Amino acid sequence: MTLPSAAEAVVEPLEITRRPGADLWRAVAGNRKAVAGVLLLAFFLVLAIFPGQIAPYSGTAEDFGRGLGPSSAHWFGTTAYGQDVLSQLISGTRQSIIIAFAVGGLATAIAVLVGVSAAYLGGVADGVLSLITDVILVIPIFPLIIVIAAYERNSGLFTLVVVLGALGWSYGARQLRSQTLSLRSRDFLEAARVRGERRFYVIVFEIIPTMTSLIVASFLGAALYAVLFAAGLQFIGLGDPNSQSWGTMLYWAENNEALGAGMVYWAIMPGVCVALLGAAFALLNYAFDEISNPALRLRRLERKAAQELEPAPAVAAAPDSEKILEVRGLSVAYASDDGPVVAVDNVDLDLRRGEFLGIVGESGCGKSTLLYAIARLLGAPLAGEITGGQVLFKGRNMVSMTERELRAIRWREYSVVMQSAMNALNPVLTVEAQMRDALKAHSDLSKREIEKRSKEVLRLVSIDPVHLHSYPHQLSGGMRQRAMIAMALLFTPDLIIMDEPTSALDVVAQRSLMVQIKELQERLGFAVIFVTHDMSLVSHFSDRLLVMYAAQVAEFGKTRQLFDKPLHPYTQGLLEAFPSIRGENMRLVGIPGHPPDLLRPPAGCRFAARCPHAHERCAIAPPLYDVEGDLVRCVLYEHDREAVAAR
Amino acid sequence: MSEPLLRTEGLTRHFRVGKLFSRQVLHAVDEVNFTIGRGEIVALVGESGSGKSTIARLLARVYKPTSGEIYFEGRPLSSIRRRKERLAYASDVPMVFQDPYSSINPAYRVSHGIRRALRLHRKGLGRPEVERLLGEVGLVPPGKLAGKFPHELSGGQRQRVGFAQALAFSPKLIIADEPVSMLDVSIRIGLLNLMSELREREGVSFLYITHDVASARYIADSVLVMYAGHLVEEGPTEDVIQRPKHPYTQLLLSAVPDPRAPLGVSDAADVGEPPKVVNPKEGCRFQPRCPYAIAECETVTPLLRPLGPQRLAACHVAEADVGEPAA
Repeated sequence: MTLPSAAEAVVEPLEITRRPGADLWRAVAGNRKAVAGVLLLAFFLVLAIFPGQIAPYSGTAEDFGRGLGPSSAHWFGTTAYGQDVLSQLISGTRQSIIIAFAVGGLATAIAVLVGVSAAYLGGVADGVLSLITDVILVIPIFPLIIVIAAYERNSGLFTLVVVLGALGWSYGARQLRSQTLSLRSRDFLEAARVRGERRFYVIVFEIIPTMTSLIVASFLGAALYAVLFAAGLQFIGLGDPNSQSWGTMLYWAENNEALGAGMVYWAIMPGVCVALLGAAFALLNYAFDEISNPALRLRRLERKAAQELEPAPAVAAAPDSEKILEVRGLSVAYASDDGPVVAVDNVDLDLRRGEFLGIVGESGCGKSTLLYAIARLLGAPLAGEITGGQVLFKGRNMVSMTERELRAIRWREYSVVMQSAMNALNPVLTVEAQMRDALKAHSDLSKREIEKRSKEVLRLVSIDPVHLHSYPHQLSGGMRQRAMIAMALLFTPDLIIMDEPTSALDVVAQRSLMVQIKELQERLGFAVIFVTHDMSLVSHFSDRLLVMYAAQVAEFGKTRQLFDKPLHPYTQGLLEAFPSIRGENMRLVGIPGHPPDLLRPPAGCRFAARCPHAHERCAIAPPLYDVEGDLVRCVLYEHDREAVAAR
Repeated sequence: MSEPLLRTEGLTRHFRVGKLFSRQVLHAVDEVNFTIGRGEIVALVGESGSGKSTIARLLARVYKPTSGEIYFEGRPLSSIRRRKERLAYASDVPMVFQDPYSSINPAYRVSHGIRRALRLHRKGLGRPEVERLLGEVGLVPPGKLAGKFPHELSGGQRQRVGFAQALAFSPKLIIADEPVSMLDVSIRIGLLNLMSELREREGVSFLYITHDVASARYIADSVLVMYAGHLVEEGPTEDVIQRPKHPYTQLLLSAVPDPRAPLGVSDAADVGEPPKVVNPKEGCRFQPRCPYAIAECETVTPLLRPLGPQRLAACHVAEADVGEPAA
């Protein structure tokens, strides 16, 4: 069959190029805390810059009646010296703002210098700098500042800024140090060194720019601390009593017992201003934290009412007892800042007892999400929500099960083996303790039975039971993965779901683990869903194979048939993409381009942009066609077959 | 014989591990000799922990050898003293890293690394050269891609940026440390093809470090097999893959998943893993896993010995009855 190649007929997915500045602006505008913080800070900045224009009177003039109550002429009344409280508040803003920014800047500069240098230089330099940081961190700052301020009495703004700055950097320095430590192993720094860059360049131009959000946070934190401390010091009379500031106002108000004498606003308003300015910095700090750590943001998936989960229809006919799992029209979406991302789009699959199903696809195709959805593991901390469809496990719909119902069948009837055993195992518990926890949580076995069962499953995966008393880090990578599988076998479940359990292993260990999984499966009769990015890995082990592309099933059929006669151009491309150690060493081409952005998938066939057979008809989304029992989503087969279903 | 591009002699790197009172010595690389010719692609194959990444970092001068020497165009690297010489070597032998998500600074546009390399090593070349290099590694249109940020590129595109950065030095030898292992299968082959094209067009040599024997076969002229810090076998790639001499090479080859070949039953036998070589004793390091081990293997460390034209293997038994007799 020859089709006119018309790749140009396929619309390229909309490309969005954003400047990071624009990203930042959008993030700030979309964050309520950030908006509130910016507005509040802007308000005080305006007051600080134009006090003369805004304040109704001079802040120092003693022209009015003493201790007047609030009136339209004097909103917040007057002081015991006949000054207008509102005008004094406005005039005092400048000093707080100057202190906040000067101390913030000074403390942050020291923090960056010390923290980054300590971490990057390491060794003795790190030891000395960290020691200084820690000493300053534990010094009781307030008493120390009181001592210094009392000694340097009436020395004014400059001393205050220097003292606060010199004592306020240690917290930020520690954060920056640990961030730099985590960056130190990143390859781009090694790349810069190998390139021949000097140390100074690496620190200033390679490390520091990657930490802007942390540096901003450190600045905001120091500014907040400065505002509060300066007001506190001035309040207890340790500033220049003739300066115009909120703290000094508090000092004089206290001296004149303003509260008792009816000059309430004189006593309260400076504190309110300090609190509001502090709140502005704190809000900005929280907002920055959220913006730079998307995980802290709560995003909810917006769903139209029509898309709400339909109640599970009564299971049609008698459930097929041979089928242990049936997935019907399963869809999963993630919330993102730009709208929902459908990571699993209307997937159907079924699994018989004792069957080994391989799910393959590239990173980001939705294979792991599909697996987590089936295992009902989505939801905090994993993002993603099932937006439609059913997962019938032994005839029961798992999608509508409650957490309590799920707990009863998890581990006993189905279990999950994760990609990285090092992350999935608890590093501070022995293998025995972890097995005991699992057995206790899901059964009421006696102590002796628990020990017996733990030894049994370890022997099943050819680990010597002496390793029951080992901690995960004492086991090799292959042993850890086998220990994970042993834990999944504790209750001899009917289904084990595996997410790339071998991908962290070397080829030899990988092969021996695969052989072991297959042997166990044949012996114990459980079914397996095995997710991998490496098709060749499962070629000898899986009964059927499901090829996913861009959230959809591209092809689904018997493994042997799929390898011998791949139907979908994507499957064909994948099979031709990896070199072999046998046969002729031919030049291979791979698949050009990259998968579409799932935020805005193309309307038609999702593979068309990369497909050598692309055609005008690819502009319409193809359904799955049944070709000799092999399901394939490609219009190349529309003339031969009827579509399986209208999806 | 004329001097090869790069040659190592008894290259050894040990690391001290453990706490103050239980200091031990990890033998990451022991007594390794190999050569890389001009315009040659040499694959360095081995499992994780075999010492192959340590060799990459020794060649890139990130580590200094504990003993032994690296000769580049006949000159020992230990004679490099001045910054100018260091820069000259850095520009002759750049490195491409394994993880394209961590090897490009996220705070800069992707052209940053290329521009820095040009400024440090080939002054006076500006934007046209940046765009030529991006085009050279298949990033089109180069003008548009140069202005993107790393998070806007796919993994394959990022790794192409890595190659463009290496090319910016106008290098003689590129050390590629597992450059495709983190990429999707459909994208890997494009990068491998890029490496052989660059060899053809620019005449640059490659040390291709990988655990994937099939990809080594695909692009490399010759292959070095490492096990636990030792070089255990070397020879022309096709020859080694068709007729592996060392039992470890045989095990490695039998474990490669290949849908086109039937599954061997004997594969299940080996569940061992490579050892961490801490304070090693004499003897073959593969001996505990080796089906052919004899008494001598426990006490005498086998040295690389010729076992055919251009073929070397470090095995006491290989001579006697594994594979073919020495030519």
